[in-house]
Amino acid sequence: MSSIRRFLIFGALAVLTLFSFIAALRGYQSSMEEAETLFDAQLLDLSRLVANLETTPATRDLRLGNNLAFQVWEHDRLGSASHQAPTTPITSRVQGFEFANFGGFRWRTYTRHDEGHDRWIMVAERSDLRFLLAENIVLETVLPILLGIPVTGLLIWWVVSKGLRPLEQLSEDLQHKPAHDLTPLAASTAPRELKPVVRAINGLIGRLGAALEREKRLSADAAHELRTPIAALKVQLHNLSREIDVHSDSFQQLEEGVDRMGHLMEQLTALYRTSPEQFSEHRVQLDLYALAQETVAYWYPLFQAKGQTLELVGAPAQIRGDPFALDTLLANLISNASKYTPAHGHVQVSVKTLPGGVVELLVQDDGPGIDAAEHSRIFERFYRADHAIEGVPGCGLGLTIVQHVAELHQATVTVGSSSFKTGAAFRVVFPAEGRA
Amino acid sequence: MQLLIVEDDKPLARSLQKALRGHGFAVNHVETGSAALEALAMERPDMMIIDLGLPDTDGLTLLRTIRRSTPDLPILLLTARDTVQDKVQGLNDGADDYLSKPFDMTELLARLRVMERRLSKSGNPVLAFGDLELDTMEQKVRYKGENVETSRREYMLLKSLIETPGRVLTRAALEGRLYSWDEEISSNAIEVHVHHLRRKLDNGLIRTIRGVGYQLSEPQHNTPEA
Repeated sequence: MSSIRRFLIFGALAVLTLFSFIAALRGYQSSMEEAETLFDAQLLDLSRLVANLETTPATRDLRLGNNLAFQVWEHDRLGSASHQAPTTPITSRVQGFEFANFGGFRWRTYTRHDEGHDRWIMVAERSDLRFLLAENIVLETVLPILLGIPVTGLLIWWVVSKGLRPLEQLSEDLQHKPAHDLTPLAASTAPRELKPVVRAINGLIGRLGAALEREKRLSADAAHELRTPIAALKVQLHNLSREIDVHSDSFQQLEEGVDRMGHLMEQLTALYRTSPEQFSEHRVQLDLYALAQETVAYWYPLFQAKGQTLELVGAPAQIRGDPFALDTLLANLISNASKYTPAHGHVQVSVKTLPGGVVELLVQDDGPGIDAAEHSRIFERFYRADHAIEGVPGCGLGLTIVQHVAELHQATVTVGSSSFKTGAAFRVVFPAEGRA
Repeated sequence: MQLLIVEDDKPLARSLQKALRGHGFAVNHVETGSAALEALAMERPDMMIIDLGLPDTDGLTLLRTIRRSTPDLPILLLTARDTVQDKVQGLNDGADDYLSKPFDMTELLARLRVMERRLSKSGNPVLAFGDLELDTMEQKVRYKGENVETSRREYMLLKSLIETPGRVLTRAALEGRLYSWDEEISSNAIEVHVHHLRRKLDNGLIRTIRGVGYQLSEPQHNTPEA
C-alpha cells in the first residue's frame, strides 16, 4: 500500500459501487417481477371486460391501443376481436397465462373460458412494450443510485483528505525541520490516533539530542581532560631533566612524544571547535593584516630557532571574521610551512585586498613543495603527504582545521606552487566585505 | 618566596611542587577553593597559582573572593580552557597572568619571575639583555657599561622589549605600551624611536621583523637578511 489516501478512496469507492450495483440489481429484478404481476392483473381485468362484450359487427374490429389485442371465440367462430388480432386463435384453448407470437411480435396472453356462453376469450399484450414500460419505471428508481457514485466518490475523497490532513501536517513538520533543530514536535494539536506517533518521535528526538550532546561533550571533554595530565607530564619531564642526562636519546624521544601528544590534543580541540556544527560565531570587523602580524610575531622565535626566515608583506585588509578561529588558521598554515621547509628556508605571509574587494591570504615557502597529485588529498583528515611523514611531527589535522575555518568564513583554500624556486603556496581567499 | 598552589589534580600539583622547589620557591599546595581560603587566612603567601577548574568552586569565583581581601597578591591562573574569552575574563577579574595547560615549565618560571620582579621592590631592579642593562628604579639605560641617554618613550620601548626577551612585539603592541589611547601617534613614531635607539646603541640590537615588529637580539646573532 503505497498511499493511504488512494487506498482509502479507491477502497471505499469500490465497496460503495459494488453494493450499489447489487442493490440496484436486486431492486431491478424485484421491481420487474412486481411490474409483471401488475401487468398480468391488468390483462386479467381486460379479459373480464372483454367477456361482457356483446358480439356485434361493431365489436368485430374494435380499435384498441397498439399494445393490446383480444379475440372472442364462440365455438369455432371468431366473435369479437381487436383490429390487430389475427383470424386464427392467438393461443390454445387452455385457461391461464401464456406467451404467443403473432403479427411479428411476442405477446403475453391470457385465455379464459366463458362457461355461460361457451366462449373462449383470449386477451394479449405486447410483451416487449410491457418490458420497456416496466424497465423505464424501474430505471427511474435505480438510476439515482448509480449516478450518485461519482458524487459520493468526490465526497469520500474530500473526507479522506480532510482525515489525512493531520498526518500530512506531521510529515511536513518533520520534513521542514532543520537538521540541527532537535526541539520536540507540538503534541497538543495532533489528533488522538497520531498522539502516540508524535510522542514516539519526540522520544526519539530527545534521545538523539541527548546522544549528540553526550558525543559533543565527550569529544570536547576528552581533549579538554587531557590538558591537565599532559601538563603534569611536561612538568615531570622538566623535573626529570634536572636528574638525568637530557641528551640521552630516550629522554629526547620521551620529550618529543609528550610534545606530540600535546600537539594532537590541541589540534583535536581546534578541529572540534571549528567544525561547522560546533562553531559559535563571534564575528567582528577585523584587519587580517594586523591579525597576521600577531600570529607571525608569536611564531617568529620558532622560525629563528630553526634558522628560517618568516616575513609578512601586504597591507591592512578588512574582513568580517572570528579572530580566534582565524588565528588558528594562520597558526596552522605558518607552522606547517615551518615544518616542511628545511633549515634556513624562507616563508612569506602576505595579506592583500584584490580588485573586487576580495581579501587574499597567501602563505608560501621555499621547501620541496607538494605534488599536484596530492593537492586534493592533503585537506583530508589524518592524511599526510608522502614526503611529509619522514621525521616531521604532525597529526594530519592542520589542513582540515584550515579548511573548516575557511568554510566558516565562506573563504576558499587552494594549494599551488609558491613564487619561490620551489615550495608550496596556500591561498585563502575571503569574500569581499558585505558579501560574507 | 612563598608560593601557594590551588590545584585539584594531584599528579600535576605534586610535580609542580617539586619543580618549583627545585627553582627556589617554598611551595604549599591545597586542592580546593575552601582550603585555599583557610590557608590564606592562616598565612599569606607571596604569590598564588590557581587552577580554574576546582572541585568545590569555580576558580574565577575564588579569584574574586581573594581579590576583595588581598588586592595586591600576585595570582597566576592555570586553566584547561584556552579560549580568548576565558583569558580576558580571568585578567578582568584580577589575575596577574594566565597560562593554559599544557604549558612549558620554562614559560611558567618566566612568568613567575616577572611577577616576582614586580613584587620585590627591594630586589634587583636591573633588567639585562646581553650588554644592555635597564635600571628600572633610576630609569637609566646602560650599554656595555656606559650610560646612554634616552627619552622617556625610548626607555619605555627598550623596557617593553627587554621584558619579553626573544619574543617579537608588533608595532601595534608597542604603540599600546608607549602611548595612551587619547594620544596622537604619527604612523612612523615607533620607527623613529627605534631609529634613534639604534644610533645610540648597537645597530643590530633591535631587530626589525619585516611587516611585523621588533625583537631584541644579540648583535652577533644578527643574520644579514633581517
